[in-house]
Amino acid sequence: MGQVIDLLSWAALLGGGFFYVVGAIGLNRMPDIFTRMHAVSVSETLGVGLLTLGMLLQAGITLVAVKLIIIVAVMWVTGAVATHALARAALHDGEKPLLADASGALVATDPVELFPELGVRLATPLKSEIVEEEPAEEEAPEALAETGYGGEEEDANPDAEPPGNAGPDSAGPDSANRDGR
Amino acid sequence: MMFAAAIIAVLIALTLAVARALAGPTAFDRLLAANKIGVGAIMLLALFGFMTERPEFLDVGITYALLNMIGTLAVLKFFRYGALGHAQDLDRDPG
Repeated sequence: MGQVIDLLSWAALLGGGFFYVVGAIGLNRMPDIFTRMHAVSVSETLGVGLLTLGMLLQAGITLVAVKLIIIVAVMWVTGAVATHALARAALHDGEKPLLADASGALVATDPVELFPELGVRLATPLKSEIVEEEPAEEEAPEALAETGYGGEEEDANPDAEPPGNAGPDSAGPDSANRDGR
Repeated sequence: MMFAAAIIAVLIALTLAVARALAGPTAFDRLLAANKIGVGAIMLLALFGFMTERPEFLDVGITYALLNMIGTLAVLKFFRYGALGHAQDLDRDPG
């Protein structure tokens, strides 16, 4: 019985180490930031899980196992969240993913040009847009006085959207995006 | 012995991640590599604790996991807004 557990533990640890190294190789060989993100985050989730499984088999049912489960739960959740936030920040900063054009060659493409509806969803107020919207600032102090400390989501969105350019339906995703950050 | 093998694998991965962190053309590449180095450090702590049969290292690992998350999100917020303050402050004085 002990030998079976040792064997399973070996397999899990070696597999975890393999996937962890594969992620690091992808981090170095992939052509742009988004593919690197994909290589790292996916393989890292599996690698960490397998490494922890190998240690769990050796620990048995103890307090150490509980701590290991806490660690892997935190890392599974935060790894996905951090990668998502990193991809959004890279897109907002103007990083263009490499996409295949009609002939199959990889070209740095602005995804909003290909999918215009994506622009509405990505249109959270950027630093530059906030700078331009100075004239609409009159309402902001009142809204701040009414809502107090937590008023940032409600009053920031009308300010940052160009008047007449965005429909009222885009306010929902915008506020959701700001909440999530 | 099995933990030593896994430690060697994690160390190889960390070396590659450090190479990307030094070379990475954009700040996001460096941040991605830094995030991977953080996760690798946690795994290294846990594996080393098991190898030397001192599982107290796991407590340090939990702390590192939480700090890693907060650090990444703080740096990302800085890149997005140019500051770490509240959004209403940034409307008045974009950094």
